[in-house]
Amino acid sequence: MVDLYVNILIFFISASAILYVALGGADFGAGILEWIVPKELKEAQQNVINKAMGPVWEANHMWLIILVVILFMGFPKAFHVIVVSLHFPLVALLVGIVLRGCAFTFRHYDAVKDETSQKAYSFFFSLSSVWSSIWLGVIAASLTRGLLHAKGQDPYEIYLEPWFGLFPFLMGLFTLTIFTFLACSYLIGETRDERLKSYYQKLVPILNIGVVLLGGLVFLSSYLEPTQFMNSFFTSPFSLACLFLASVLFYFIWFYFKYFSFWMVRVVAAAQVSLILMGWFFVHWPNLIETKEGGLSFYEAAAPEPTLKQLVLALVIGSFFIFPSLFYLLNIFKSKQA
Amino acid sequence: MDDLLAARLSMGFSLGFHIIFAAIGMTMPFLMSVAHYKYLKTKDEAYLKLTKMWMKGVAILFAVGAVSGTVLSFELGLLWPEFMKWAGPIIGMPFSWEGTAFFIEAVALGLFLYGWNRMNPWIHWMTGLIVGISGFASGIFVVAANAWMNAPQGFKVEQGQVVGIEPLTAMFNPAWFHQSLHMQVAALQAVGLAVAGVHAYLLLKKRNKSIHQKAFLIAMTMAASCSLIQPLVGHFSAQRVAVLQPVKLAAMEGHFETSSQAPLYIGGFPDEEKGEMVGAIPIPGLLSFLAFNDFEAEVKGLNDFPKENWPPVMVVHISFQIMVAIGTLLSLWALIYFFLLIFRKKYPPWFLKITVIFSPLGFIAIESGWITTEVGRQPWIIYEWMKAEEALTSVPGMTYHFYIFLVLYLFLAFMTAWLLKRLVTYYG
Ligand code: HDD
Ligand code: HEM
Ligand code: HEM
Repeated sequence: MVDLYVNILIFFISASAILYVALGGADFGAGILEWIVPKELKEAQQNVINKAMGPVWEANHMWLIILVVILFMGFPKAFHVIVVSLHFPLVALLVGIVLRGCAFTFRHYDAVKDETSQKAYSFFFSLSSVWSSIWLGVIAASLTRGLLHAKGQDPYEIYLEPWFGLFPFLMGLFTLTIFTFLACSYLIGETRDERLKSYYQKLVPILNIGVVLLGGLVFLSSYLEPTQFMNSFFTSPFSLACLFLASVLFYFIWFYFKYFSFWMVRVVAAAQVSLILMGWFFVHWPNLIETKEGGLSFYEAAAPEPTLKQLVLALVIGSFFIFPSLFYLLNIFKSKQA
Repeated sequence: MDDLLAARLSMGFSLGFHIIFAAIGMTMPFLMSVAHYKYLKTKDEAYLKLTKMWMKGVAILFAVGAVSGTVLSFELGLLWPEFMKWAGPIIGMPFSWEGTAFFIEAVALGLFLYGWNRMNPWIHWMTGLIVGISGFASGIFVVAANAWMNAPQGFKVEQGQVVGIEPLTAMFNPAWFHQSLHMQVAALQAVGLAVAGVHAYLLLKKRNKSIHQKAFLIAMTMAASCSLIQPLVGHFSAQRVAVLQPVKLAAMEGHFETSSQAPLYIGGFPDEEKGEMVGAIPIPGLLSFLAFNDFEAEVKGLNDFPKENWPPVMVVHISFQIMVAIGTLLSLWALIYFFLLIFRKKYPPWFLKITVIFSPLGFIAIESGWITTEVGRQPWIIYEWMKAEEALTSVPGMTYHFYIFLVLYLFLAFMTAWLLKRLVTYYG
């Protein structure tokens, strides 16, 4: 039974991670877009972002909480290593998440909309979106580097080494680019402003090139890493298949962008990002994290059976409430504009 | 500041910050639902305006609650990794249900905030109510997790390994009921009082009377009824603590020597060195009676416990006294309210003024209640199983962690206050 429970939990972890990146990632991307958009489109873009993100950002953000709860309840040994060795990037991420959620909400709900304060909220919203996306990438990369280490004494070894390096940093930039791309693909279907639409149409290929270039650099830089991420990647059939499919999807993205089929753009973009995430997630299968002492697999890190059972139960029952209500939410707010 | 102290302060500060917004998030939706219901029934525009005004406040406060809650779910691990490794599998369950409840809450909030004119009005109304119900449920779940730290059960330890985990037994531990009950009543009471205070202030300023009169009545009904029952609920908590954590009770009461006919001390300060109360008024036998319903009952004193297992007596005693004083004061205030409501049918300005002055008291009581509970558990993080110092992270520099979140939260507190002030001025 234990293995079955663990497998179900792996499903929920992957699902939450995918949904967090595919839905929440676009919210981060929106903050980034606000920074790069030309002045004359600023207002139109801000309106569409408020409209698109307002109802859903809190729900999107819940996937992260679900992930954390699954980790600390179901895989306490892995959680332990992560929170100790990634203390610094996690705190950095949290500070970003706090500022971002607040800035976004304050901007919308401030009773007095004067220019100075609105500008300040927007600034913090964009800044913290960029900041958090990078740290999210750094954290993701650090899980696979093989440098996590929960028992060290030396401050460098526990504080910095696990996440400090070229590979995690490039992964941060990669994440940033992907999130921006996701935001473009979602927002293009929400806006009625033609200028904004064509701006996104021009931006997307540039972002795609950025994703491919940065992806390549991420691979190359992983040669400097103890786990040789790239080698493992190219020997994992599952990851290779994901990479292949994700690349094929570029064609569809451009196709649908060209022909203004914005629903398909969203679906394909989300699928592409999910594939990239899956490819990365399963490179070290069945390991959940890579530590200095070697990999820690899902099965080794799992909690005792009674706990797993209760967790699976909570997640399965919870799903019966969460998915229909989420679906209803999206239906109410997304169907009307399409 | 050493790492342990810094980590404790960080935890206490984050929780103390979060609880304000959590209490609001759990109870404001109910106030909103009442106003919204009245609007749908009577079509009186004043109720609609009120609903929307409250809604804007809730949206701001909810966001701060959500992000500070996110910080907390990581912080438990970031600061106390050994605790989470040990306890995560045992008390994860309430957290997993809490997660589900939050999810529903977040979805319902999105629907409620943005669903005006997009949905059937009554379904829209329901979403507002669901925000409240799921928030309330999640509050119960987290407090159950905290109660387990006070009354741990549902596991065995063999050769240093946790075995025989029973998550349900752990969740429904002997402290979950009184703690959850007391906390939820406190949230309703504190938020009702604060809201009533704001509208009392606006009534005194004679702005938009019809709206604020209605708001005042809704909020007061909630605050005053809870204020009447809270001393009883609190008393029930104290009786449970007497059984479950006698050291904590002794520290709360500044009770050093074990005795039957134990006196209750009013005011005064505990002197830990000399082991006695200074400057307090003793009422003989009352503590025995309050704790065990019997004037002769024996109440264990601090001296019966090894000194290294004492919580910081001064902090626990003073914060407990503050909570009880506020609880008593507010129950009198509620009596006056009901007297005025039944016999006078209106509220004179002096009563409105008192309510304005009292408006932060509920939150002060919540904070001091939590300080009593949490500091009173010291030095244990899991009562009689694990000390806080054993749970601490090995990562150095916790002082920085503390300062980072101190600055961040002070900034947010300032911002929220400023935004609410703007909201009140705008609508007032
Ligand atoms: C509006 C807030 C409020 C008010 C007016 C009171 N309390 Fe309280 N009290 C709380 C808010 C609170 C709290 C913040 O909600 C606590 C912290 C932990 C808990 O379960 O509830 C708490 C804890 C708490 C505990 C410790 C429980 C434990 O550690 O398990 C006791 C013994 C009391 N209270 C007793 C009282 C008494 C005798 C009151 C008399 C009037 C009173 N409280 C008023
Ligand atoms: C929201 C209301 C709460 C407040 C205001 C609060 C307050 C505090 C305070 C002041 C401390 C520091 C005590 C000291 O070290 O002297 C503390 C510690 C702690 N609290 Fe709470 N608490 C709350 C609820 C909870 C809940 C629901 C949980 C978990 C389920 C929790 C878990 C902890 C932990 C793990 C510590 C650190 C270990 C320790 O010092 O014993 N608290 N809290
Ligand atoms: C007595 C203590 C606590 C109570 C009563 C409480 C209650 C709540 C409530 C009602 C919310 C909804 C958001 C809002 O209304 O603003 C909330 C948010 C949250 N709380 Fe707490 N909480 C407590 C302590 C904790 C602790 C110790 C944790 C961490 C383990 C935590 C984790 C969260 C999370 C993750 C959220 C965000 C949910 C969202 O995005 O809507 N809370 N809390």
